[in-house]
Amino acid sequence: MADYDVIIIGAGHNGLVAAGYLAKAGRRVLVLERRERVGGAAVTEEIFPGFRFSTCADGSGYLSAEVRRDLKPDLEILAADPVVFAPQPDGSRLAIWRDTARTAQEIERFSQADAERYPAFVDLMGKLAKVVGGLMRVPPPDLPDVGLRDLRSLLPLAGPVLSLGRKNVNQLLRVLPMPVADLLDEWFESDVVKGTIAANGVRDLTWGPKEAGTAYALLYNWALSDTGLFRSAGVVKGGMGALTEALAGAAGSLGAEIRTGAPVKRVIVEDGCAVGVEVDGETPLRARVIVSNADPRTSFFELLDPYSLSAGIVRHVRSIKYRGSAARIHLALSELPEFTALGGEDPAVMLRGPIQIAPTLTYLQRAYDCVKYGEASPRPYLDLLIPSLLDPGLAPDGRHVMSITAKYAPYRLRAGGWEARTEAFADGVIDTLAEYAPKIRDVILQRRTLVPPDLEADFGLPEGSPSHGEMTLDQFFHMRPIPGYARYRTPTTGFYLCGAGTHPGGGVTGIPGRNAARAVLEDWS
Amino acid sequence: MMAEYDAIVVGGGHNGLTCAAYLARAGRKTLVLERRHVLGGAAVTEEIHPGFKFTVCSYVVSLMRPEVIRELELARHGLHILPLQSAFAPMENGDYLAIYPDEGSTREEIRRHSKRDADMAPKFNQLMYEMAFAVKPIVGMVPPDPSRPGLRGLRTLRDLGRHLQGLGRETFHHLTKTMTMSVADLLDEWFESDIVKAYAALNGIIGTKLGPQSPGTAYVLLHHYMGELDGAFTAWGWQRGGTGGVSDAIANAARSHGAEIRCEAPVARVLVRDGRAVGVALENGDEIYAKTVVSGCDPRVTFRKLVEEKELPEDFVAAIDRFKFRGSSGKVNLALDALPRFTAMKDPALMQMIEICPSMDYLERAYDDASYGGFSKRPFLDIIIPSTIDPTMAPPGKHVMSIFVQYASYDMPEYGNRDEQRDAFGNAVIDTLTEFAPNLKDIILHRQVLTPWDLEQKFGLTEGNIFQGELTLDQLFFLRPAPGWADYRTPIRSYYQCGSGTHPGGGITSGPGRLAALEILRDRN
Repeated sequence: MADYDVIIIGAGHNGLVAAGYLAKAGRRVLVLERRERVGGAAVTEEIFPGFRFSTCADGSGYLSAEVRRDLKPDLEILAADPVVFAPQPDGSRLAIWRDTARTAQEIERFSQADAERYPAFVDLMGKLAKVVGGLMRVPPPDLPDVGLRDLRSLLPLAGPVLSLGRKNVNQLLRVLPMPVADLLDEWFESDVVKGTIAANGVRDLTWGPKEAGTAYALLYNWALSDTGLFRSAGVVKGGMGALTEALAGAAGSLGAEIRTGAPVKRVIVEDGCAVGVEVDGETPLRARVIVSNADPRTSFFELLDPYSLSAGIVRHVRSIKYRGSAARIHLALSELPEFTALGGEDPAVMLRGPIQIAPTLTYLQRAYDCVKYGEASPRPYLDLLIPSLLDPGLAPDGRHVMSITAKYAPYRLRAGGWEARTEAFADGVIDTLAEYAPKIRDVILQRRTLVPPDLEADFGLPEGSPSHGEMTLDQFFHMRPIPGYARYRTPTTGFYLCGAGTHPGGGVTGIPGRNAARAVLEDWS
Repeated sequence: MMAEYDAIVVGGGHNGLTCAAYLARAGRKTLVLERRHVLGGAAVTEEIHPGFKFTVCSYVVSLMRPEVIRELELARHGLHILPLQSAFAPMENGDYLAIYPDEGSTREEIRRHSKRDADMAPKFNQLMYEMAFAVKPIVGMVPPDPSRPGLRGLRTLRDLGRHLQGLGRETFHHLTKTMTMSVADLLDEWFESDIVKAYAALNGIIGTKLGPQSPGTAYVLLHHYMGELDGAFTAWGWQRGGTGGVSDAIANAARSHGAEIRCEAPVARVLVRDGRAVGVALENGDEIYAKTVVSGCDPRVTFRKLVEEKELPEDFVAAIDRFKFRGSSGKVNLALDALPRFTAMKDPALMQMIEICPSMDYLERAYDDASYGGFSKRPFLDIIIPSTIDPTMAPPGKHVMSIFVQYASYDMPEYGNRDEQRDAFGNAVIDTLTEFAPNLKDIILHRQVLTPWDLEQKFGLTEGNIFQGELTLDQLFFLRPAPGWADYRTPIRSYYQCGSGTHPGGGITSGPGRLAALEILRDRN
C-alpha cells in the first residue's frame, strides 16, 4: 500500500518544481529534504549578523517563464541595468546595457567596427539561443533508437528552427561545438569586448574560452537570460533562498507535503521497481514513484544499490565529470567600494548588475591553465554581485553584501589540500579586485570563503559542481546524465531523476524539474 | 578558345594526383600542374643532403583509403608499405615505454607500468577500432547539406541514421561522447599509468593546436584508428622510399590512364568567364583551357588566391576567411653520421619510432607554452629513423631522422626575423632531444628546420597547417570547408576542390581526391 503517489528526494529548486507540477496534476506528493531547510544550493544565509548572502547559487539564470506561469511562486525579481559592468585594468570600463544601441555606444570607445557588428551579433545569437532554449525544454530523444514518440516530443523545436532561416541552421550546427574564443574572434576585434562576452561561456565550466563547447555554454546562458543577452541581470528579492521558499510555498499550496531534516538513506527496490524510501530512524515510506533531485552519482550509487546496475551503467556514471572549479567568497562591506573605472558615474546605478573581472580572452585562458595542473589561479576571473544595491534589506543600513564567484579553484589541488590554501586563494582574489577597486580592503568588514570541497560538504554538490556534472558537449542532451538514460528515467522502474545533472543542466531554471515531472506523468497510466 | 583538356588539376599533391588518376581512369583528358620540381605536395621525398633522402614534410602512412589502393592498383604502381612495428618513449626518470612487434611483449611491457593498464589496453583498442569502424562509412560519404539536403542528401542522411542505429546502443553512446571529449579524459577512463596515457594521447594532438586536455582531441585519436593497419594504440606504416613514394605510385597510376603531369608549372590563377571556370593562367603567362578545373590546394589558396573575390558570393568569402588553419607543427630533418644513443634504450631494435612524450603534463605544458605565441621550449617530438628499415634512405651506416615537432606558432616575432626564428626553433628541438640522446649533437651531418611559416612557403600550406585546415568539429564533414559547399563543388561552375581542406580531411588518405573525382564525373555524365 503506497503512502504517497510520489516521493521526491531533495528539496532543491528542481525537486520543488517537480513537486509543484506533480501536485498540480493531482498526485499526492511528499518531498524529503536532508537539511533543516529547503532550497538545496539556492539559499539565503545570514553568514554575518545582519548580512544575508545567497551563499551558493547566485542565480545567474532565473526560473524559467513557464515555471513561474504554471506554479506562480510568490517572488519578486529586481531587474538590473547595466547587465554587465566590466572595469578594465587601465581604468576604462565597458558596460553592457539591455539596450543594444546604448551598448554599441559603449563599445565604440574600444572599437568602431565592433560597435557596428554588435547589433547583428546580438540578433544572430538571440536566434540561435531560441533554438537552444527550445532544446532545453524537450526530453532528449533516446539516440540512436529514435521512435515516433521521440520525434513527436521534438515538435516544439520546429518553430525556432524554421525561424532561423536556412543559412543559420548551418550556423547553429557550426557554432555549437566551437570555442567561444573562436566565435568572438570571428565577430570582434577588441579584447575588452571579447573578454566580457566570453566570460559567460566559461562561468559554469572548468574550461577556458579556447575550449570547444564553450560557445554552447554562452548560448545556454543566453537562452536562460531575461535580458535578451548572454546573461541575466538582477536579483531575487530576499536572495536565492526566497526563490526556493516561494517554490516550496507554491508546491505546498498545490498540495505537496514537504519535510525537512529527513535524510533518505536509500531507495527501496522490489523486483526491479522502486517502491519506497528508507529515512534515517523512521519506518520506510512507500510510494508509486520515487524522484531524485540528487546528483546522478549519488542517485545511482548511494540511493540505488550500485551492485544492481549493469557494468555499462556503472562505468558511465563513474565517468561523469563533475569538476567544480569556482569558489564563492562573501564579503560584508561597510560601504560601497569605489571602482576606478566608474569615473564620476553613480556607483548605485553602475554596480547594480553583475560586475565582471575578465579583461581579455588571454586573461581567462591563463586563469584556466592552472587547473590543468591542479593549481588555483593566482590571477582569477571574478564575477561579482552586490545584491544589496537593489535589495537593501540584505544588509544593515548603508552597508552592503558582495558575493564573488572566483575562478579557477579546482576541487583537487595537486599539492596539499585546500585547508591550508583557502585563505591564501581568497587573499589573491581580493588583491585582484584591488587592482580595480583600490580601497576595497578598507571597506571589508568580514569575509567568508567557500572553495569547491566546502560547497560539496555544505550543499551536497559533488566536487563542488553547481550543475551536478559539467555542462560539456560530451555530457549534453542525450548523454546527460549518462547515455541511454537522458529521459529522466533510470533502469529501475519508477525511479526518476530531476536534478541539474539531467537535461538541460544547471542554473536555477526549474526546467529539469519540470521536464522530469512531465516524464513521470507521461508514464503514469 | 578551345578546351584542350577535360580537366586541369591545380597542384600535384597526393589528393590532386588521386583526383587526376580517377578522372583519367574514367577517360577524361586530364592535366596536373605542379608548382614545384617534385610531385607530392606535402607527401614528398627529397635528397636535401647528398645521399640522404628526407621525407621533408609528411613521413608516415596509415590512413590511405583501401578503396583507392584497390581501384588505382597502387601496389602495382609502386606502393610498398612496411609496417613500423616498434616504438620507444623515454621518460624523464630514465625509464621508458616500448611497443614491440608482437602483442605479448607489448603487453608485458605495459604490465611493467601497470597491470591494470595491460589488461585494459586490448579492450580499449577493441572499442576504438569498433568506433573507427562505425565512422568509416562517413569517411567515404559525400557530405550532405543539412540545411538543404535535397533528395540525394536525404538518402545519405537516412543511410547515415540507419548505419548509426545499426551500431548498437553501447558503441553509439561511446562514439557520441568520444566525438566531443578530450583525449586526456578518454584515457583517464581507461588507464592509470601516466606514460601509457601520454603515449596513447599523442595521436590525439598530432597536427592540432590543442593540448591533450582540450575537448575534440579524442576525435583526432579516433581519426588515427581509421587506418587499415592494426596495432596497439593505432599503427603506422613506412612507404619504401618515403612518402614521396606514395605520390609517385599515384602519379604512375594516373599516367597509366593517360593523365599528363607537369612539374615546375605554377598556376597563377584560374580563368573564370561568366561564372564558369574555363582554364588556368600559369605564372609564365601561358593560358591552358579546360572544361573543368580542380584545385588540390587548401581553401585559402583555392578561393582567395586562385580566383578573384568578385567571382564568389560575399557570405562564402566570409566563410572561407573564417576557416581556421593555425598550423602548430614544424619539422626537423637530420642527416646522421651514426645512430643516436638513447640513454634509456636497451634494445637497439626499438630504433624505429621514438616519441618524446614523457608525461601527460609534458604534453600539456608544451601546448600551453606555445598557445600564446612562440614555440614549446620542450616540445613534443614524433620521430622516425626510417633508414633502420629502409636502406634506400641513407648511405650505408648513415641514417636519416625525421622529427615532427609540436607546438610552434606561425608568427614568432619574439625570436627575431624568420631565419632567427627557424634557428631558435631548431635549437630547442635538438636541445630537447639531446636530453634523451646525449650523443645527438656529435652525429648531425646536416639539419633541415621547417617552422609553420616555412611549411607555408615551401608547400603552400596556409599558416603551415598540415591538414589544410584544422580538424575541429566546427570544420568537419558538411562544414568542411564551408557550409553548403562541402560536396567538392564551389560557387564557380566547373571549379572543384579536392584537397585535405575538404571532407574527410588531412593525412595521406586520398579520400578527398577520390570523392571529388566521383562528384566531378557525376556532374559531367
